[in-house]
Amino acid sequence: MGWEEKQVRGYPEFVQTAQRYHGRPIFALFCGDKDAAGKSWCPDCVTAEPVVRKELHNMPDESVFIYCLVGDRSYWKDPNNEFRKNLKLTGVPTLLKYGTPQKLVEEECFKAELVRMLFTED
Amino acid sequence: QEAAKYEKKVMVLDFVMPTPLGNSWGLGGTCVNVGCIPKKLMHQAALLGQALQDSRKYGWQFTEEVKHNWMTMTESVQNYIGSLNWGYRVSLREKNVTYENAYGEFVGPHTVKATNKRGVEKLYTAERFLIATGERPRYLGIPGDKEYCISSDDLFSLPYCPGKTLVVGASYVALECAGFLAGLGLDVTVMVRSILLRGFDQDIANKIGEYMEEHGIKFIREFVPIKVEQIEEGTPGRLKVTAKSTTGNQITEGEYNTVLVAIGRDACTRKIGLDKVGVKINEKTGKIPVNDEEQTNVPYIYAVGDILQDKLELTPVAIQAARLLVQRLYGGATSKCDYVNVPTTVFTPLEYGACGYSEEAAVQKFGEENIEVYHSHFWPLEWTVPSRDNNKCYAKIICNIQDNERVIGFHVLGPNAGEITQGFAAAMRCGLTKEQLDSTIGIHPVCAEVCT
Repeated sequence: MGWEEKQVRGYPEFVQTAQRYHGRPIFALFCGDKDAAGKSWCPDCVTAEPVVRKELHNMPDESVFIYCLVGDRSYWKDPNNEFRKNLKLTGVPTLLKYGTPQKLVEEECFKAELVRMLFTED
Repeated sequence: QEAAKYEKKVMVLDFVMPTPLGNSWGLGGTCVNVGCIPKKLMHQAALLGQALQDSRKYGWQFTEEVKHNWMTMTESVQNYIGSLNWGYRVSLREKNVTYENAYGEFVGPHTVKATNKRGVEKLYTAERFLIATGERPRYLGIPGDKEYCISSDDLFSLPYCPGKTLVVGASYVALECAGFLAGLGLDVTVMVRSILLRGFDQDIANKIGEYMEEHGIKFIREFVPIKVEQIEEGTPGRLKVTAKSTTGNQITEGEYNTVLVAIGRDACTRKIGLDKVGVKINEKTGKIPVNDEEQTNVPYIYAVGDILQDKLELTPVAIQAARLLVQRLYGGATSKCDYVNVPTTVFTPLEYGACGYSEEAAVQKFGEENIEVYHSHFWPLEWTVPSRDNNKCYAKIICNIQDNERVIGFHVLGPNAGEITQGFAAAMRCGLTKEQLDSTIGIHPVCAEVCT
């Protein structure tokens, strides 16, 4: 069956989507919002996204890849935002396997080998 | 990781043989997965239960009885361990250390065979090898032990509350587990063959046992189990344990939900092909004798950790020995691991921190007339308000009279024993004497000041 991608924005939409696919492996990449020209305010996210996308084919069958825009810069900087509070995210970009302690944060997302390891680890 | 810093090409072969009940775990070894880490977290869970009781006297008001949920605790603990397993995977990858989840064994000079869980075999050669395979719990060797009993390998991820538990053994593993299980509200019995905490200061070991007994843990002394039968299946089920006295013909029987075996650990050295490369092991204990540079009798094979003969079985000792070894091999360093005055802590309900000689060992080595023992009971300030025991906490310092009253043994029994002991261990490494200790002004009001 391969894998499928869902693009969401904001915390409630993320949670709703993750819950819908409960039971399948879910990987999520959290990035800062993109402007009208498609560029994110988060330079690390700009670097990480193509690296992650290139490794997506390594995800197990039936996986769901959720690409989640967290919000604008000021929302992200707020220490009480829902992503920080509920998902315990500490930085963007974050790539994680939902429901497990497995995640890669910031520069770790630039390394194809680490991304591949996250997608293929059991 | 240390070797990789020196640009060496490094591979790690880590594989966990499942327990008799099918349990296994991730990268990190015993300490992380089924030892120190989950143990301390569960000990903390038990301490928090006690703190909740104490809190009423400090003014906290809550009407409901406080209950403990085993699954909630275990899930949190396993989640944390999972993050550590993952952290090590990322760390090894980032440092370019090749990791294989495969069982390694020597098949010939400089050659190992790695077998993964699907049975796929690969051969690897290397210039040098470091063995750090550790130990696994020993079973009793009686009918029903592997089918019905659990060990520390199973306890920390048990998917159901163990219920009424019999702990067989009097090692620190046995007493620490019995301690926190009772602290969580379970009915706990400890079956002891002879003495408590063999190898530790016996005066303190007995105080630990007394404290546990006074706080609801039952002890059956001088008995060993001879058979375990299942009365009823379940999670947990019901088990019948038959035990025989070590001093006569008396037989006793008991019914428990869970039987936890903690009678010792055996080195994982018998099935890794050491005979194929000529590494000598102690046939009786399975331990590997090494020189003071952690080298086995085969020059290119080294060993560290719990498998070493006559060395302390502690995580930080293994880590330090390994780091220094690699620095000597590839970094031009000369420091060897110092196995003397290594501090340790037993996390029983009343914690015990120690560094250096026990009283018995000091008497044996230096002679009773040449040592001076200073000791005192103390009552932690935090225990006064809730009226907790006022004569159980205890500190003991052993000094060598012939060497300026050098402090050669430090023992403290009380809350936060580990935190207290760490600093004094550093002082002992600097050659702490009784006079220096006396001239150190205490911090007030803390337990540690009783030592100054």
